[in-house]
Amino acid sequence: MQQDTRNFSIIAHIDHGKSTLADRLIHYCGGLSDREMEQQVLDSMDLERERGITIKAQTAALQYKARDGQVYNLNLIDTPGHVDFSYEVSRSLAACEGALLVVDASQGVEAQTVANCYTALDQDVEVVPVLNKIDLPAADPDNARAEIEDVIGVDASNAILCSAKTGLGIEEVLEAIVQRVPAPRGNDDAALKALIIDSWFDNYVGVVMLVRVVDGALRPKDKIRFMSSGAQYLCEQVGVFTPKSVSRDVLAAGSVGFVIAGIKEIDAAKVGDTITLVNRPAAEPLPGFKEIKPQVFAGLYPVESSEYDQLRDSLEKLRLNDASLQFEPEVSQALGFGFRCGFLGLLHMDIVQERLEREFDMDLITTAPTVVYEVVLNDGEVIHVENPAKLPEPGKYQDIREPIITATIFLPQDYVGPVITLCNQKRGVQVDMRYHGRQVQLIYDLPMNEVVMDFFDKLKSVSRGYASLDYEFKEYRSADLVKLDMMVGGEKVDALSVIVHRASAQYRGRELASKLRGLIPRQMFDVAVQAAIGSHIIARETIKALRKNVLAKCYGGDITRKKKLLEKQKEGKKRMKQVGNVEIPQEAFLAVLRVEDGK
Amino acid sequence: MSTRRIIPLTPASPPAAPHPPPTATPHPPAPPPLAVYVHYPWCVRKCPYCDFNSHTARAAAPPEAAYLDALEADLQAALPQVWGRRVHSVFLGGGTPSLLSAAGLDRLLTLLRTLLPLDPLAEITLEANPGTVEAARFRDYRAAGVNRLSLGIQSFNDRFLAAIGRIHGGDEARAAVDLALATFDRVNIDLMYALPGQDMAHALVDLRTAIASGAGHLSCYHLTLEPNTPFAHEPPALPDDEVAADMQDAIEAELAAAGFTHYETSAFARTAQQCRHNLNYWTFGDYLGIGPGAHGKLSSHQGIVREMRHKHPEHYLAAAARGDFVHLRHTVGAADLPFEFMMNALRLCDGVPAALFTARTGLPLAAIGEALATARSAGLLDADPATLRPTARGQRFLNDLLQRFLPDS
Repeated sequence: MQQDTRNFSIIAHIDHGKSTLADRLIHYCGGLSDREMEQQVLDSMDLERERGITIKAQTAALQYKARDGQVYNLNLIDTPGHVDFSYEVSRSLAACEGALLVVDASQGVEAQTVANCYTALDQDVEVVPVLNKIDLPAADPDNARAEIEDVIGVDASNAILCSAKTGLGIEEVLEAIVQRVPAPRGNDDAALKALIIDSWFDNYVGVVMLVRVVDGALRPKDKIRFMSSGAQYLCEQVGVFTPKSVSRDVLAAGSVGFVIAGIKEIDAAKVGDTITLVNRPAAEPLPGFKEIKPQVFAGLYPVESSEYDQLRDSLEKLRLNDASLQFEPEVSQALGFGFRCGFLGLLHMDIVQERLEREFDMDLITTAPTVVYEVVLNDGEVIHVENPAKLPEPGKYQDIREPIITATIFLPQDYVGPVITLCNQKRGVQVDMRYHGRQVQLIYDLPMNEVVMDFFDKLKSVSRGYASLDYEFKEYRSADLVKLDMMVGGEKVDALSVIVHRASAQYRGRELASKLRGLIPRQMFDVAVQAAIGSHIIARETIKALRKNVLAKCYGGDITRKKKLLEKQKEGKKRMKQVGNVEIPQEAFLAVLRVEDGK
Repeated sequence: MSTRRIIPLTPASPPAAPHPPPTATPHPPAPPPLAVYVHYPWCVRKCPYCDFNSHTARAAAPPEAAYLDALEADLQAALPQVWGRRVHSVFLGGGTPSLLSAAGLDRLLTLLRTLLPLDPLAEITLEANPGTVEAARFRDYRAAGVNRLSLGIQSFNDRFLAAIGRIHGGDEARAAVDLALATFDRVNIDLMYALPGQDMAHALVDLRTAIASGAGHLSCYHLTLEPNTPFAHEPPALPDDEVAADMQDAIEAELAAAGFTHYETSAFARTAQQCRHNLNYWTFGDYLGIGPGAHGKLSSHQGIVREMRHKHPEHYLAAAARGDFVHLRHTVGAADLPFEFMMNALRLCDGVPAALFTARTGLPLAAIGEALATARSAGLLDADPATLRPTARGQRFLNDLLQRFLPDS
């Protein structure tokens, strides 16, 4: 049985054609009829389709009749395609024996691909290089092959040439999966060990888990236990996705499928956890399980304060399917009631924001993203601070440590100069630089707070979009960090406080103050906009008072238009947030918080 | 002169009626003073900043006889609404009503006197533009009963007159003012400031020319770009807000020094020269509006009604032939009355007595208690509870003050 099974995933950079290839494979194996064949089946969320990324791992069990005449069960396990989801990727890969390394033959290797490929190689996953888009005139298979060998170090001489778009080479890909990906070697008779690859919430059946059975077998009515928490549930249903869900009597060793066990909270089914049987538990869980912790925090506030409850409901609904999203209520003087939310990374934050706005129709103000700092108090206690407003006053702590990441950047050599300059500006320390043909691989240690601020956007702009980035957490390191507060009319605007390096505080303070001056409308009185570190003012701008706001003429004529004008002014004020006696429009917060988008 | 002006409060108010239940349509306990506005819709040329209901006559001359016939029928039809009420002022506005022949004007005023109890001392104002002024005609206007002339001078400087599309020049403007003052006891000069290319010195030259002329009333308007005007579509380069505000400060100071009282946002008058007709608007009095696009506001025990005549002259004339004059009519509800009252009353620099609110709207002062309290604590409204008077800041930021009286949307 296991001899006929192949578990594989696809590693590819965004836009290199992973989803198109997956769809081709499903179609070829008859998983869906033409009529059912919606474009890019595996990326089921609109957002994913638009951004070309996969957020949740999904799967398809395919029946492929190979050239040797035998029918194989091929389990395609889709992997998330972004740097924020590297843990999920590692769990998906842990469930596979093989991976297709899909590289755009016209573009070559990207950082993301490399990182995921290394993850695969670390877990002894067989990597099968596939050169996609060979139908394009710009395709250069030889160069791409050389790059794979040079950068990743896998033999690419027998890389498969295909075009997912035209269908060319699809059969060769399937043959390679059968011949080159090892069959699973689980022990049917051993105690059950099933790896949770992904879990999500279904309105009708509760939490659905996608699992890879490593050893043993899992059947409905089995009593199961989660090895990280010890929680026990009754297995209600097992099955596979073709990609439609189909019930089965058993998930045997080596197979991939879904489990439903009447679980209501997605927290209970953590990605990477091991499921075993209560009657006959495994001695040890599968390796690699980690509790995932948010790395990036930001405050989310409804533009209309009356929509606070709606925001909470929406976040709760999102969380049903996204265990990595954390949130707790937060009150800002300037923005009112909202939530402090924790995300895996910036992309994760963007996705949550966009889903809230698109699917739940929320208007949001999001504060500047911040990382988690370790603050050593005077008495030696270490606290974690994920909100600048919560940083103790200077003098009450002896040290702040900031998270440092190791960033791997791939880019064409033409852009090396500006990218190095950028990394240096962001307090980066170069670890390595290597040339691979036309590509350069830069490795930098960077403070994560500099990265979440605006690094992605700047990297994209200085490299004209050609640079790709992957990062992993390295360590906490002491740094000379200060809290920069913004004050309007003498009142601190808590939502605008940021933690920055002392060396850049002056610059940031001036920049923020001048930006705010341009965004806050003139009031009936002069308004001072100041940037301060503690009680020390480091920048100041003045918004000159408006001289008047009055209509020149009003006689017995038509008052409706005058009334409308004033109603519009009043409506505008309603959407403003009151800080002290200064009215600040939402747009000012949005524009300031959208740090340096325009640049 | 006392700065406290006499407000024509309704005499001998009946004993305070119980406050109307919230569902009843509010109306004043007794009808307020009544004025009549007559709109003359034609101009020689339409100015690019003007958003009034004015039209360039298509034919060689506007159809005067047909217009006067229509006005007569309009007034006849409206009489039941104002039956028996004395008329305290008449205002002929436009457009350019000084395009009307003296005989035509005489016919109109005779008509008003015949059909309405026109107070013998009523203020009768005619708007005139300098480009349309003739000495003989002015004398005839006066003979017909006009006792106040309002001149649309705007500037005495050819350059700025051309910039705002006026048909007259500086010399004509000066001649018109002299002629007006030689003919009428009471003359208003409309001036505009913050004109395209104008600086402080220019603005003050215009102002001093107007003061020196001897006119008893000045209206000084900040040029405003109104929507749906050529200036709104292609805005000219205007002095910036700081310069314009400085001009306003200087204008107010010069006029005060010259003995003018600043009594409304844009209006300045020597002793006893205030415009009674406009004061009636600002004290939320009643007015009957006849002629194309004219607005009226009339109180009765059934409530306070606003109405508007058919707007386009041709449409008005055509509809009048069928006995149809009113394009829109609605009763102002309790939610809208406070704002409508305040929008007028707070334009007056001295405001109005607090009691006028109930006298004109029929609503208890408590209906706006909260807005009054916050406006007072914000320093926009005078703290004296016996008056509704904007502070100096309230006058400058009148829009911010008035917003507090808008109904909650």
